[in-house]
Amino acid sequence: MRNVCVVAGGQSVWGMRQASERDMFQEAGKAAFAENPAITNKDVDGLIVGSAYTERCSFQTHLAPVVAESLGIKPVNICCRVELLCATGSSGIILADAMIRSGKADVVMVIGGEKLFTPQRWEVNYSELASVDHDWDGTQGLGLPPPVFSAVAQEHMKLYGTTEEQLAMVSVKNRRNGLNNKKGQYQEAITLEQAMNARAIVRPMKLFDCCPVTDGAAAIILAAEEKAKYLTDKPLVYIRGTGQATLHNMSANMRNWSTWESLRIAAKQAYAKAGITAKDVNVAQTHDCFTISEIIETEDLGFCEKGEGGPFVQAGQSDFGGQVPINTDGGLLSCGHPFGATGIRQGIEIMHQLRGDAVRQVEGARIGLTHNLSGFIAAHTVLIYGRDLD
Amino acid sequence: MSIVEGKYAVTMDMWPLQSKEMTRIYPFYDNLKEGRFTTTRCRDCGTRAFPPRVVCPECLSENLEWVDLPLKGQVLIVTEEEVGVPVGFETPLIHAMIKLDDQLTVFARVMNCKMGELKEGDEVKLVVYPVDPLPVDGKKGAINLQERVFYAFEKA
Repeated sequence: MRNVCVVAGGQSVWGMRQASERDMFQEAGKAAFAENPAITNKDVDGLIVGSAYTERCSFQTHLAPVVAESLGIKPVNICCRVELLCATGSSGIILADAMIRSGKADVVMVIGGEKLFTPQRWEVNYSELASVDHDWDGTQGLGLPPPVFSAVAQEHMKLYGTTEEQLAMVSVKNRRNGLNNKKGQYQEAITLEQAMNARAIVRPMKLFDCCPVTDGAAAIILAAEEKAKYLTDKPLVYIRGTGQATLHNMSANMRNWSTWESLRIAAKQAYAKAGITAKDVNVAQTHDCFTISEIIETEDLGFCEKGEGGPFVQAGQSDFGGQVPINTDGGLLSCGHPFGATGIRQGIEIMHQLRGDAVRQVEGARIGLTHNLSGFIAAHTVLIYGRDLD
Repeated sequence: MSIVEGKYAVTMDMWPLQSKEMTRIYPFYDNLKEGRFTTTRCRDCGTRAFPPRVVCPECLSENLEWVDLPLKGQVLIVTEEEVGVPVGFETPLIHAMIKLDDQLTVFARVMNCKMGELKEGDEVKLVVYPVDPLPVDGKKGAINLQERVFYAFEKA
C-alpha cells in the first residue's frame, strides 16, 4: 500500500453568492491549482465531485464530467460524483485516499460544492426536506434540523448540566476564529451577550447557535507520496486514518440523542488506523452545524470525558492555547456550510495547519482531525491527517 | 408563462406516494385512513421495524405482517420552532420526542398546540389529517385526484 498526501487545496468565496453551481466549481478548482502552482490540471488523473443538491437546485446530474470539462481536467482513472449530504466532501477524500493507496490512481482532485439559494427563497427550506428521511421525518417538517438539535441540547443540558452560555461560547469562539478568513461567509465577531440575546430559532438554539445556508465550493488535491515529492516543495501532509459509521437513519431509530455512538465508532476506526489516540490530536475541525454539536463532538471524539464538553469550551480547551484548538478557520458557524464542500474546507485548513502556514496557526501542530455528522445525526465521518507517517 | 405551468411535479412532492401502484407499503396509508397506526413485524424472527419494510432489517425475511402501534404516547422533550419552518407548515412548528412503548420513541410534529402549551410528561394521541391530493394522469387527458393523509400527534 502506498502513502497518500494532500498537496493543494482552495475554495471559492462562500456565502449567498451571485454565481451558479458550475461557476463556483471553477472558482474552487482554480483556487486549488493557484495554491500550489507546481500542480496543473494536466497532472490530475482522477476527479471525485461532491454535491448533495445538484439535481434539486441546479437540475444537473452526471455532474463530474461537467466539472472536468469546466476545469480542463481529463481524468483517466475515476470521474464520478459522491454524496453523503454534510459529509460529502469527506467521503470523497476517503475514496480518493483508497484509490491512491491501492494504486488505482496517482493524483486525484476531490471537489465539492452546493448552489442552495435560488430566486424563490421558500425553495431552500423546502429542498432541505430531502436531507432527512423524506417520507418519515421530512413529512413531520424536519428538513433543516434545528428542532432535532434543540432536542439534543435539551437532553444534554438535563443529563450533564450544560448551559446556554456554554453553547454560546462555541459560536463566540468560532466567529472569532473566522474573522480573518477572507473566503468565509462571515468575518464578524460576536460577543457572548449578542449570542445569548439573539432571536430564538428553536430554544435553546438561537440565531448564532445555528450555521447558515451557504453557496460555495472547495477543492483539494491528493497524490501518492512518491508523486507528491515531485509535485510540491511544501511540507507533506499525510492522510493517516479514516472512519465512517452509521447505525440508523430515521429519528425513531436513533437510540441515544446526546451520546453519538456512530461518532465513537468512526473515531475508534480512524484512531486505530492512524495509530494514535484522541490525546495526540493537536488541531481539529469538527462539525459545528450547531453549537451543541461541537460540545458533544469534543466528548465523543475523546478530547474530554462524557458530559464535560460544556466545561471544556468554557475553560478555553478548544481555543488557541488550549488542549486542542477546534474550528480554527471559523467552522461551519462562521465559514458557512455548502454541504458538498465542508469536509474539503476542513481538510484544507488541516493541510495549512500541519504545513505551518495557516491564517490562525496552532504552533507546532503535527496531527489534525476532521469530523462531519450528516443527516439526522445518522452518519459520522472522521479523518486523521499527519505531518509524519507514524 | 412556463412550459410547466399547471403541471404538478410529483418528484418534488412533499408527501409520499401512497397508492398500491406506487408503493408496496400502501397498507400503512390505508390503515392510517382508518385511524390505525401500523408497521410491519417479521413472522420469522419477530422483529418489529419502524418505518414499515418489505424486507426484515434483522433477518432479511420477506415474511412480514402488519401490526398495530400504540395511538397514545408520553412526551419526553418538546421543541418549538419559531423561525424558518418549511413551506406548508405553520409557525410555531412544534415537535416532541414521544415514547409510544418500550421499543418505539418517535420525534414527531404536534398539531393544534400553542407555544408553551405542551410540556414534558403530557400525553399525546395520534391525529390523521388530509394532505394535498395527488393528481394522477387518467384516460383521454383526465386528471384524477387521489386522496392522501398523513399523521402527527396532538394533546390527548
